[in-house]
Amino acid sequence: MSDPKVPPPLPAASVSGPGSPRDVPPLPGQFPIDPATLPEPIRDELQAPDPVALDTAAAELKDGLNRCPKCGSTDVRLKLGSDVLVCQYCRHEWHGERVEEAFGLGVGIDQLRGTVIASGARDIDAGAASLMSFKCTGCGAEVTVNTESTMTARCHWCRHVFGVNEQVANGAVPDAVLPFHIKKEDAVARIRQFVDKRRMFALKAFKEQFTPENVVGVYLPYMIVDSNVSASVAGKGEIKTREYTRGTGDKKKTYYDADVYRVERQVDFTVDDLTLESSADRGNLDTRVNTNNIINTILPFDTKNALKWNASYLLGFSSEKRNLDVEKMRPRLEDQLLSIARAQVENSVRRYDRGVRWEQEQLDVHGSRWVSMYLPVWLYSYHQPGRDGGMLHYIAVNGRTGETMGSVPVQQWKLLLAALATGSIIETLVLWFLVVAS
Amino acid sequence: MSDDSGLWLLAAGPVGATALYWMLYRYYRNTDKSHAFEHETTVEAKPVTGSDSKVDTVIGTQETRIGGDNVHAYRARVKRVDQ
Repeated sequence: MSDPKVPPPLPAASVSGPGSPRDVPPLPGQFPIDPATLPEPIRDELQAPDPVALDTAAAELKDGLNRCPKCGSTDVRLKLGSDVLVCQYCRHEWHGERVEEAFGLGVGIDQLRGTVIASGARDIDAGAASLMSFKCTGCGAEVTVNTESTMTARCHWCRHVFGVNEQVANGAVPDAVLPFHIKKEDAVARIRQFVDKRRMFALKAFKEQFTPENVVGVYLPYMIVDSNVSASVAGKGEIKTREYTRGTGDKKKTYYDADVYRVERQVDFTVDDLTLESSADRGNLDTRVNTNNIINTILPFDTKNALKWNASYLLGFSSEKRNLDVEKMRPRLEDQLLSIARAQVENSVRRYDRGVRWEQEQLDVHGSRWVSMYLPVWLYSYHQPGRDGGMLHYIAVNGRTGETMGSVPVQQWKLLLAALATGSIIETLVLWFLVVAS
Repeated sequence: MSDDSGLWLLAAGPVGATALYWMLYRYYRNTDKSHAFEHETTVEAKPVTGSDSKVDTVIGTQETRIGGDNVHAYRARVKRVDQ
């Protein structure tokens, strides 16, 4: 028996030859043995697709400079109201490539198997820094971009504009971006209109400080998921067979007879572009502590028109970083898929006129495809002081469709007073009616 | 008019006050809103299949609906079974 404290002896000579670290590594994707000669289970495993099946990285933008294809200037920004990029120097305009066609995202959902993750939706490396620095190719200066809130920066010295285009593993660079269509003035008008309809019982401080011009254009991180699913549900349903009354006068009561059935339903379906918040904070829709449900309500976006990532679309806007990986988001996806399944089978149980009580549900996700995307939202916020840090109220405008939703803080005493006054009037009428009737 | 229905009518005041409070509160705060993904997402479904078998009868109940009816409550999760 060897002494456990003594390490195993070193080999006599340095390790060399085939399979050793001294060996020249095979090229990526190569395998030393021809897989066709191997047994089928091993071959299937070897030839199964790699997790990153969609590479959405743009090699031409790696140095961080988005150049105008005509004059080479880096001062490129979005022409608001369109999906067109415009050079601020020579006014050349060009259209970005749609990811839907470039990576075939709209097709083959019913053929999806396993989990397909686009390169911008890969797991976030906890060690990856959110601060990124570039060496300016124009003058050699160092330019830093904080990807927590912004994706572009201007070199202080030579005015070159940098954008984070390389898909670093910090979750900041998505596969695609949907540019803003709604202009700021339009967003301000929509927010003003929304609040004007809710002034009577609004918090006094909110009304006094209301400045919709302070609205901020933010690109929020989402996962766009396609999936191919089978679901089944089982439960009990009742059909009314007889309705009758017993007793007379005040004792008259209605009774029902019913047949009870055991109901089972299966449905296979595909879901195209289900949109999930890929930031842990934004995905928390607990209305007791936040108003993120407001931002959730302005979904959906026309994600079919999303464009291949180019940081120039974000110039002048802020952004939030994704901080959830695909595996962390899977429970939420399955929850939403089950909800969709239940909505799908609803029509098939119409004949149960006394309702159905579903007791069991089952979900089999055959395949899912995950693409990360930045979606445009105009956000107006108001912080209401209170217990546990108060409440942050949002008014959000969908940057594409203009759909507006918001949370306006209420003046509790006014609302209670109005309710009590109305209640008292109803009560007085009732009492008057009773006195007259008796 | 009997005493019974008179007492019932007295509840109208508090009920009206509570209903108005919640209606206005929701109109301002919109706490009940969220994205209706069940209907706003593109879903392509194959025809629904399934089975129905009579297992029991109920005689003389006063309930108008089955107990625990959740046919419209899509988001209320029930027991999840694995295949």
